[in-house]
Amino acid sequence: MSNSLSMRDMLAGPVFANNPVAMQVLGVCSALAVSNSMQTAVVMTLAVTFVLVFSNLIISAIRNFIPNSVRIIAQMTVIASLVIIVDMVLQDVAYELSKQLSVFVGLIITNCIIMGRAEAFAMKYPPHLAVVDAVGNAAGYGLVLISVAFVRELLGTGNLFGHSVLTTVENGGWYLPNEMFKLPPSAFFLIGLLIWSINVIQRKRG
Amino acid sequence: MVFKKDTVVGTMIFTITLCLLCSFMITGTAGVLKERKLAKKRDELQRYVLMAADVNLGQGNEFREIFAKSVKPLLINLDTGKVDSDANVLDFDERMAAINPETSSAPKKDIAKIKTRANDARVFKVFDDSGKLSSVVVPFYGKGLWSMIYGYVAVEPDFNTIKGMVVYEHGETPGIGDFVTDPHWLSLWKGKQLFDEKGKFVMRLVKGGAKEGDVHGVDAVSGATMTGRGVQRAMEFWFGVEGFQTFFNQLKASAEQGELGGAK
Repeated sequence: MSNSLSMRDMLAGPVFANNPVAMQVLGVCSALAVSNSMQTAVVMTLAVTFVLVFSNLIISAIRNFIPNSVRIIAQMTVIASLVIIVDMVLQDVAYELSKQLSVFVGLIITNCIIMGRAEAFAMKYPPHLAVVDAVGNAAGYGLVLISVAFVRELLGTGNLFGHSVLTTVENGGWYLPNEMFKLPPSAFFLIGLLIWSINVIQRKRG
Repeated sequence: MVFKKDTVVGTMIFTITLCLLCSFMITGTAGVLKERKLAKKRDELQRYVLMAADVNLGQGNEFREIFAKSVKPLLINLDTGKVDSDANVLDFDERMAAINPETSSAPKKDIAKIKTRANDARVFKVFDDSGKLSSVVVPFYGKGLWSMIYGYVAVEPDFNTIKGMVVYEHGETPGIGDFVTDPHWLSLWKGKQLFDEKGKFVMRLVKGGAKEGDVHGVDAVSGATMTGRGVQRAMEFWFGVEGFQTFFNQLKASAEQGELGGAK
């Protein structure tokens, strides 16, 4: 990124051209695991957005006080605390859903997108820019997660958000669900296709 | 004094401050959510007990009224069978009681592989609409292949025939050992008898499927021998002398004296 940071680039960049999942291939683990239904994908996106925005904000606010020798562990402490809070809140408001997401909420701590943004951006720029950057990256992550989940839930179960869209054979309809889309490997193929298509469009633009 | 961040002292001050701030953040959130969490746990307990006792949960939050109307929770001492009448039964933390050395002990014959057993346990007497005791629900747990399997089981007032069962927590192999939560498999337990005429525990899981009319057998599941055995042994333990037997015998004795005729 050049020195002249425009807000628009910072928001739109990570969503498409510099998408953290598709282009930097970060945070793929959780993208594979929780993208089998729209509901989990949306909740996971919200959780990651919360953690990313606040970790970027806090770390950027205290960046001038963080000693160089302990900067990574300091970032981890902030991120881990935020993840614990998200986990507690999630168990409170959506207990069943938090069971489905199981370890993956806790694993937000190790999501490279968050560490990556803290180290690469929040440590160097003032808080308001860090928040914009966080929102952009969270949107990029969420976009991939939700679009993969859309395809997986629709083709894997015939539902969207648990509501029947394509009536399955089991319920007397015509659609025979493709079980493969319920399993994590299908997300590999879908993210692969996504990376390919983004690359093709990018190249056309030159 | 100017804060020099890259000195040893500066680093120390920074880390200590950061850790304190973060822990305040977490404890603050936990404090706010604590009451709600307790209430949720209480709801969950009530729902599982009613489900085990095969009582209709009603719609939405009706289960709270149904529970209050038809269930009498008790905290008992497992060795003496005595009821602790002052206890706050719904908020009793059985997991904590089971690992606290002051309130637990190692069972002599640990067939359920639970290592330590709490001295006290919860019992739920369930009454029907006419105020007659229809079943007694007790918690049970025991080790399967990988994990502890937790559930509630309801027995009829003969303390032999199973009325219903719920398994609410386990960490068995997904797709293989998780049959323990399958409603169909759990329903197989209904009407089965734990003991034979001589009072010996004979309930078991039968490989190849229990024969029709077998009142002491439930279908085992291929590939999940250990998980099934875990449930069977947990039953044997919790209905044995180190489980609820002492309490059940006292209830039976007092029922014979006619004290249990009316409600409560």
